[in-house]
Amino acid sequence: MPADPVNEFIVLFQMMCVVVVFAYLVTRTRFYQEVLDGILTWKNQVLLILVFGIVSVYGSMSGIEILGAPLNIRDTGPMVAGFIGGPVAGIGAGLIGAAYRMTLGGFTMVACSVATLLSGLIAGLIYLAHRREIPGLAVGVAAAIIIEGVHMGLVLLFSRPFSQAVALVSDVAFPMIAANAVGIFIFGFITLNLKKEKETARERDRYQGELQRKNAELHIAREIQESFLPPALPSLPGYTLAAESRPAREVGGDFYDVLASPGGRIGLVIADVSDKGVPAALFMALSSTVMRASAAWHQKPGDAVQDANSLIARESSSGMFVTLFFCLLDPDKGTITYVNAGHNPPILVRNDGTSISLSMTGMALGVDTSESYEERSLSLCPGDLLVLYTDGVTEAEDSLHRQFGEERLESIARQKRSHSAAEVLATIQSEVSMYTNAMPQYDDMTLVVLKVGS
Amino acid sequence: MSTILQVEEQRQGNIPVLLLRGRMDSTTSPEAEGQLNRLIGEGAQHIVIDFSDLEYISSAGLRVLLAAQKRMKQTGGTVLLAALRPEIRKVFDIAGFNRLFSISPSIEEALGTGQGR
Repeated sequence: MPADPVNEFIVLFQMMCVVVVFAYLVTRTRFYQEVLDGILTWKNQVLLILVFGIVSVYGSMSGIEILGAPLNIRDTGPMVAGFIGGPVAGIGAGLIGAAYRMTLGGFTMVACSVATLLSGLIAGLIYLAHRREIPGLAVGVAAAIIIEGVHMGLVLLFSRPFSQAVALVSDVAFPMIAANAVGIFIFGFITLNLKKEKETARERDRYQGELQRKNAELHIAREIQESFLPPALPSLPGYTLAAESRPAREVGGDFYDVLASPGGRIGLVIADVSDKGVPAALFMALSSTVMRASAAWHQKPGDAVQDANSLIARESSSGMFVTLFFCLLDPDKGTITYVNAGHNPPILVRNDGTSISLSMTGMALGVDTSESYEERSLSLCPGDLLVLYTDGVTEAEDSLHRQFGEERLESIARQKRSHSAAEVLATIQSEVSMYTNAMPQYDDMTLVVLKVGS
Repeated sequence: MSTILQVEEQRQGNIPVLLLRGRMDSTTSPEAEGQLNRLIGEGAQHIVIDFSDLEYISSAGLRVLLAAQKRMKQTGGTVLLAALRPEIRKVFDIAGFNRLFSISPSIEEALGTGQGR
């Protein structure tokens, strides 16, 4: 067949199409994917040698003959084997390609066979030099160009008559180099893409696993946090009591507590740690424990809160603080003594419909170790309703960012004041969720309701 | 109404003035925290925060201001808050933080406080 540029191009193009299809198919096989993962068992090496030996043979067969020496991509197979499997695979595939080339004869027989063997070896050494990693596309293509250059050099060195060798090389050098470089490019591109895909998939799996583990941890954290809240509310003759805390996320910073105190008195606590989520939950665990211990130790609410504050403030870096309302109810006398440490003022609705808010008597806890807390007392009458809440209730927003607000809360409390504590609590909750409509709950929401009389 | 917080830094003389615009909550306040920490790290003696365009502050926002105030106190500095809207002011009052920060009705007065010290 005469050297015709158009014909050469068409044949080369056909070769590349076969290479593309082959590269695609081989990258789908399990053994090839294992090799990409670095699993170079003997079995995989043998498969590499056989598969890319056949690619090399195909390279010879598909070539076009010019002056008795085919223009071919015989070296591509051994190079790929070497790049991804190391010298053993490269030489093995090269041996198959070389052996087939020997059967074809011709005056460049020896030079071409040696070159095919060498291409597998050099690619394998490059693989080793890359610390047993597949080299990048640029390295692979550059190596292919150099290896084909060496191939041409070998033809000039060993093939005689020399004038024929020169004529051959000047004719086929450029298309040979280009064809093998493109072959390596195609294999490299598809292989490296696959490798990247696999890495991305692995990353995603790892991320998902991590996420699942975190979710499981948060779930446990939530259960632990719920166990900090009173499991059941005490039944108080002459009173009804209801409480519920709903964190916005898995865990939250709100808490409430109901404590039995000496002399049959009952301590009620509601508190809100700054921010929300895990940091708030950790600080909530600290604060609720400290407050519980301090309330058990001190007779007077002011002292209990003051002591709790100095303990919490010592632990508070990064500006974490907790607003807290603590009151001691004497059920027999019908009095409450309270301390409000920067908490949203609870609403006391009297039987006659008037209401007062139990405003601050000291700063939020965790800010200033030396803060002292004033306590105040009130008498309760039958029919009075006390609503303790956190800002998640009053700052709940509708879709236009308008807040639920204290006025709305107070008016619900006033209207429902003849109902039991549980009914009032349920009404407030349903009014808030109606107000916010489909908006997701933004902040932790806690309510404690005490009703005098049933 | 926005759901974001814009933090703008200006200088009045050598006093940095941070203008907060929008909502300061747990999602948005980390950026303001970063800015405050940077200014404190650069050795600012006083930082004025202009609240005139702040629509909402949650406890997460208060925490950021409190942390800044605590850090500034160690070096004898102060965080000066200015031009709080009534609803924002109320949040400070409820928690008792009005005693903790120097709160001025306007930027000019806050700057006067900063320079007078």
